[in-house]
Amino acid sequence: MRKKKHGGFRRPFVVKTNTNTKQQPHLSSVDPITGKKIPKSFVFSRGKIPGPLKQLQMDLRKLMLPYTALNLKEKRRNNLKDFLNVAGPMGVTHFLILSKTATSPYLRVATTPQGPTLTFKIHEYSSAADVAKSQLHPRCPKDLFTNSALVVLSGFVSGDLPLQLTTSMFQNIFPTIDVKTVKLSSCQRIVLLNYNKDTKEIDFRHYSIRLQPVGVSRRIRKFVQNHQVPDLRNLQDVSDFVTKAGYGSESEADEEAATVTLSSDIGRVNRASMKSAVKLQEIGPRMTLQLVKVEKGLCSGEVLFSEFGKPGEKGKSDDENDGDSEGSEDQDQDGNGSEDDEDGEGEDDEDGEGDEELD
Amino acid sequence: MAEEMQLQESRGLPRKRKFAKKQGHKKKPKTMPPPHGQKKVKIDKKMKKLFRKRAREYNSDDDEDEEENEATVPTTTNKHNGEEIDSEEPSEGEDNAEGGRKRWNKNATDGHNEFSEDEGGEEDGVVQPGIMKFTEGVRAFKLAFKNIINKSVSEDSLGPILSGHKKLIADKLAEEEAERETKGEAKKEKQKLAEKGHVKPANYLVPHEKFLLSVATKGVVKLFNAVNKAQTAQKGLDPSRNKDAKEIKKRTKAAFFSELGKPSFTATGTSAKANALTNKVEDEQPAWAPLQDNYMLTSSKLKNWDKMPDKGVSDDVGRASEDSDSSDED
Repeated sequence: MRKKKHGGFRRPFVVKTNTNTKQQPHLSSVDPITGKKIPKSFVFSRGKIPGPLKQLQMDLRKLMLPYTALNLKEKRRNNLKDFLNVAGPMGVTHFLILSKTATSPYLRVATTPQGPTLTFKIHEYSSAADVAKSQLHPRCPKDLFTNSALVVLSGFVSGDLPLQLTTSMFQNIFPTIDVKTVKLSSCQRIVLLNYNKDTKEIDFRHYSIRLQPVGVSRRIRKFVQNHQVPDLRNLQDVSDFVTKAGYGSESEADEEAATVTLSSDIGRVNRASMKSAVKLQEIGPRMTLQLVKVEKGLCSGEVLFSEFGKPGEKGKSDDENDGDSEGSEDQDQDGNGSEDDEDGEGEDDEDGEGDEELD
Repeated sequence: MAEEMQLQESRGLPRKRKFAKKQGHKKKPKTMPPPHGQKKVKIDKKMKKLFRKRAREYNSDDDEDEEENEATVPTTTNKHNGEEIDSEEPSEGEDNAEGGRKRWNKNATDGHNEFSEDEGGEEDGVVQPGIMKFTEGVRAFKLAFKNIINKSVSEDSLGPILSGHKKLIADKLAEEEAERETKGEAKKEKQKLAEKGHVKPANYLVPHEKFLLSVATKGVVKLFNAVNKAQTAQKGLDPSRNKDAKEIKKRTKAAFFSELGKPSFTATGTSAKANALTNKVEDEQPAWAPLQDNYMLTSSKLKNWDKMPDKGVSDDVGRASEDSDSSDED
């Protein structure tokens, strides 16, 4: 998109490509089966974020595939309003915004165009590369990201308002699946959000699902999967290879609980109406989040919930929303940040994306 | 003949002088072909001797003497002899040509002789200063050179002369060192700030992670079982046939409720996602979306058009995903 100055308003210089353009030329915005709109998201950052956070941003983008813009390019001059304007025509429903202050990084999840914004403080995070490094056998099959992830929320039963908002928000970010028609082979990833009532922290994890046929001895299974000719030196007969009771790994005990009966064939080894075990392996970023603020508008508007009380309304001062007229401006208490005024001034200040002060 | 000789001499000597004055290096060899336009002149023995002696004793430094000597040839030679007799004695025994050449060569190194001249002059008080033999000059030069080399063996690269400059440079280096240190510290601070919160998991399977893994697994297992039930129940039936469609609906509803009845009482409330599905099932509408009655007609704005516009948060909570703008894109 070219930058045009049109009455002081700048179109965003945003270049996006959906990764699925090769496979699916057009991603529908409405799910043909459920009739609901497929939620699409933008993951981007406000302000300058350091290297590790950039990696996290990339990982989050991958996580949200395929309904996100993988190659979203943002300029420093792009403001929230620019993103909003682009989001409308493209049918983007959610924004995930990363930012960093001196204290810690923050993640904001917002619904466009005027939905509520949840602000999470990221206590700890690890990128996908870190996680893969810590594993002995990192697995990432090629087509892992062609389907969107499932989401599992646990521990959110307390039922008070902010938590309810959180649950609904996260449910809505991921497209719903129709149990009757979904293909199990397309459920390959899962995002887990576990709420810890004591520390009020939400663990965010991302796993890949793998199905393994159960009841098959380890050697045969490996042989079938890896196509490696086994070593038959010490055996007298092939029947020994097949029937010999191999030692069971400790994870096999866990598998008992995790067995499912598949309704259809998945891959070569898992057959329908045969028991298979569900094995998860962690891929993708890890985060520990804490909900600190809920705002009614898109990064603006009335503060519905604030973790640390209300010491005045601090917040990253972004431009006003389209139709939100709640009237409460965001001001910086410490005066360190600066206000972005998008009301038609020609020259925007690139350094206007100041730091967010929440403490 | 004598006149011609004199002519030649007069012509030759200025030539010599010219050479001597300017370069002081070259000397015509004795047996040089006569210059152009001149006949070969017979030189008698006496003159020959004289010439030879001159060649032998030739020293470029004696130019002034030569000039004076030009007037009376015989007398000058005597004078020459008188002056140089001491220094030249050892060389007389040598071959004339050789001697001359040596002296010539020695004079060719006039530049070098300047070093040794003084010393040579000082050494031989008797001998006129500046007049040296070639070998002595070489030796003297060697000595002088060695002295210089031995003197200036200092480890400091700047040399003995530039000690003041040395201090300046040392200061500058110290300054740069300090600057670098502060910069390094600042960078480290910056990096630390950037890395805040970034945790690299050292060990993969800590108990907490295992717990989370099990929770996720349970969720997936539940989902798969539900899918399984739904789909196997449906296998024999075809949704497009009306009779079967009703059958399907019945079964799926029952299956769902039974399936979902279980998790809602467990500690892990993983029923959150399934709620969205139950909403849909309760619609009692055909499975395919366009066949539904309210396909694309329901939106938040239309539903609550008679109520207050900003109803609050509860609306957002209750609905599945209706808060998008109603720009219908097919």
